[in-house]
Amino acid sequence: MNTLKQKLNVAAIILFAGFFVLAANSAWANETGLPQNMTKITGQEDFIHIWTLGAEGIGDEQDKLVTVDVNPNSAKYGKVVSSVSVGGRNEAHHMGLTLDRRYLWGATLDTSKIFIFDIHTNPAHPKLVKTITDFTAKSGGVVGTHTVMPVKDHMLITGLSNNRDHGGRSAVVEYTNDGKYVATYWMPTDDNLQGAQKTGKYADGYNYDVRALPRLDAMFTSSFTGWSNYMMDFGKMLNDEQAMKRFGNTFVVWRLSDRKPLKIFDVPGAPLEIRVAINPKNDYCFTAATLTSKLWLIYRDKQNAWQAKEVGDIGDPSKVPLPVAFTISSDDRLLWVTTFMDGMVRAFNIADPFHPVQIYEKHIGSQVNMVSTSWDGKRLYFTSSLLSKWDKKGRDNEQYIKSFEWDGKELKERFVIDFTKEKLGRPHEMKFSANTLYTKL
Amino acid sequence: MTFIQKPRGALRLSVAICAFLIFMTTLLIGHVSGSEVTRGPGDVKTGYESTGYETRSISVLQRTGKAADLLRVIQSPPLGLPPIPVPKDNPITRKKVQLGRKLFFDRRLSLNETMSCAMCHIPEQGFTNNELNTAVGIEGRTVRRNAPTIYNVAFFSNIFHDGRDTRLEFQIWQPMLAFNEMGNPSIGYVVEKIRGLPDYKGLFESAFAGREPGIETIGMAIASYERTIVSGNSPFDRWYFGKNESALTEAAKRGFNLFNEKAGCSVCHLIQNDHALFTDDAFHNTGLGWKFSVGQSGAAVPVQIAPGVKILVPKKVIDSVAEPDPSDLGRYEVTQDPVDRWRYKTPTLRNVALTAPYMHNGVFGTLKEVLSFYNQGGISNPQLDPSIRPLGLTDKEMEDIVVFLESLTGDNVETLVRDAFAAPIGDRH
Repeated sequence: MNTLKQKLNVAAIILFAGFFVLAANSAWANETGLPQNMTKITGQEDFIHIWTLGAEGIGDEQDKLVTVDVNPNSAKYGKVVSSVSVGGRNEAHHMGLTLDRRYLWGATLDTSKIFIFDIHTNPAHPKLVKTITDFTAKSGGVVGTHTVMPVKDHMLITGLSNNRDHGGRSAVVEYTNDGKYVATYWMPTDDNLQGAQKTGKYADGYNYDVRALPRLDAMFTSSFTGWSNYMMDFGKMLNDEQAMKRFGNTFVVWRLSDRKPLKIFDVPGAPLEIRVAINPKNDYCFTAATLTSKLWLIYRDKQNAWQAKEVGDIGDPSKVPLPVAFTISSDDRLLWVTTFMDGMVRAFNIADPFHPVQIYEKHIGSQVNMVSTSWDGKRLYFTSSLLSKWDKKGRDNEQYIKSFEWDGKELKERFVIDFTKEKLGRPHEMKFSANTLYTKL
Repeated sequence: MTFIQKPRGALRLSVAICAFLIFMTTLLIGHVSGSEVTRGPGDVKTGYESTGYETRSISVLQRTGKAADLLRVIQSPPLGLPPIPVPKDNPITRKKVQLGRKLFFDRRLSLNETMSCAMCHIPEQGFTNNELNTAVGIEGRTVRRNAPTIYNVAFFSNIFHDGRDTRLEFQIWQPMLAFNEMGNPSIGYVVEKIRGLPDYKGLFESAFAGREPGIETIGMAIASYERTIVSGNSPFDRWYFGKNESALTEAAKRGFNLFNEKAGCSVCHLIQNDHALFTDDAFHNTGLGWKFSVGQSGAAVPVQIAPGVKILVPKKVIDSVAEPDPSDLGRYEVTQDPVDRWRYKTPTLRNVALTAPYMHNGVFGTLKEVLSFYNQGGISNPQLDPSIRPLGLTDKEMEDIVVFLESLTGDNVETLVRDAFAAPIGDRH
């Protein structure tokens, strides 16, 4: 009996592990562009953690990590189940998970602090376990922590500015998982291309998102703007001729293994988020230039050389819809992109990545920013806040998370939480978690 | 915990490899001239309006410093400048200047530790900010006006565009405490914060004969540093006061004559017999302030979205993401006299080629635009300064005046900026 029981146990373990590996590999992309070697939530996500900016006059006015129960089988479905205030308005923006998904790093564009939350002990109630307060001093002057991307047992963090002039020249900074500084990799500039090829006219040294294709030893960065611009009132900036010259126009391909820049491409108009293809046969990624409303494809050609190509418009560029966030479906066939100014989400068929075709659009709210999709593409979540000083004013300043279901033809609303009414603030980036991630395995 | 001990040979090899990598990095960083690093943003945007724009970006790592003896300028003012006024109750010393410089670059002196004086008065950007029309303060809050340059501020008793303060020692507390600049809640908060920072231990006591950080000593230290940011001995000075005929080009000489005669600029931008500060330190209404307060704006705004690409954005779209424009009545806000509505201080023109954008609201990006504005007679309004009238200058004449204005750049800019680069930037450790 014992032998049989042991055999059954071993078989169960193998079966379970095999299922897990299969699930992990089949799930890849969405949840919203997580690294390819990160465990994915292949079923129903239980919680969404929302990095929320404190808003003056709203609740305790501080940045906070808000957790919402999103499991339809839960009695608390569509409700806020916890909120962890971190002190101050730091311009909470993006977050990154450690590869084991046990910790969530919340980056901030203003004070450059990084707040590290334990989300595995009790996913419904994350706990702030460490705050990195000396990022700028340690990194040699990098300001404005943005994307946090795990690489093995380290984290790569993009900075958007610097402590010399609050402009756009910045760097990628590497930390260990336990929050120790490792190195700073400044973006290539004309006087110091660091061996990279300047393929066009621009090498501005600006930075924004970072993503990687480890199987190709490739890392990608995009370029936005410096502290003075992303922190200032949006309307004031649009009226400021000098400020409007200070946007990034570059996309850099790096060698991931030694963080060395290889090629700098001209991508005019502030390319923001980067999303890499999921299928191992697809050697490309997309980015969207927010000011020019253009979709760009960065791909390997037949000679395995990286190239950049503008492949389509998002909305009507003359109306500056401002594409701000996008996701790619796990089969690399569908791309969802939100545009802040008109509050729309658009779906593009990207089966042929060189010729995206818009197939659907829907108005989400008076303003919309982040979009996150479940791995199976059936659930989409939207938040409203772009930047504290860029959000719309007055009645159009809606602050929400909205949940939708996608049936292949139509987005149908499931729940809405009004973050102003709940006295929470301005919701920005979302990350999923699930109880099953932290049990049994 | 165990440590793996590297063999000595391997250690030496590691050191050698590190040294080689540092050497190679030095080689890889291209040569950039001193003036490129010290005169203008490293993020050069000249020509951005054109599709032919190419970046000429400079790494922030090129911003290497060299401390200078700033007291020399006090003892021996540059040619073209009068003696530098130093208040009797704050005699200038090397220790005060060094302490003031450290405070000036310390971002920890704002409530959330992101803003120092130098974040708006950026050394290589003419000790102002070439990248913004009007300043941006803590948490991105709107500041109404262009950050004025620190160059030669030692000479003025009307400080700020509206002259609301009278001494540098007092002035420093305004940005420190302003809700929309450095955002500190009180003087006591700033004093206690500095007292608690280990790297300031003993510095105030040493500079001020045993006195601790306080409302007076903090102001005195920063004022002492600012008083040394003095720049003269420009090509104009060497020509006009030094009688060196070859110091100025013929175009600049023509511009000088126009400046004094046909254009009448020197009515407000004064030139004395033995020195020139190029300001009357007084207040004038050019019409710009009036226009932005009560004038009507257009239905659409041209917005640059990429190099060489501008589009017209409807004003109602911009208004949807804009906070209400802050009111700005100029000197009136200090005197409460209606006559002073929309009057702003005449700025010095020394180093003016380095301090774009221009006017109290930074609305003009180039000197040529400023001259065009005055050439048309400013903006008509009920209180337009009587000295402002259509000038009838030709394009060539305006070009000559620009060349003259460019000759007002002092010869010690690189020294002052490199000295500023040598200051530690205060960030939370």
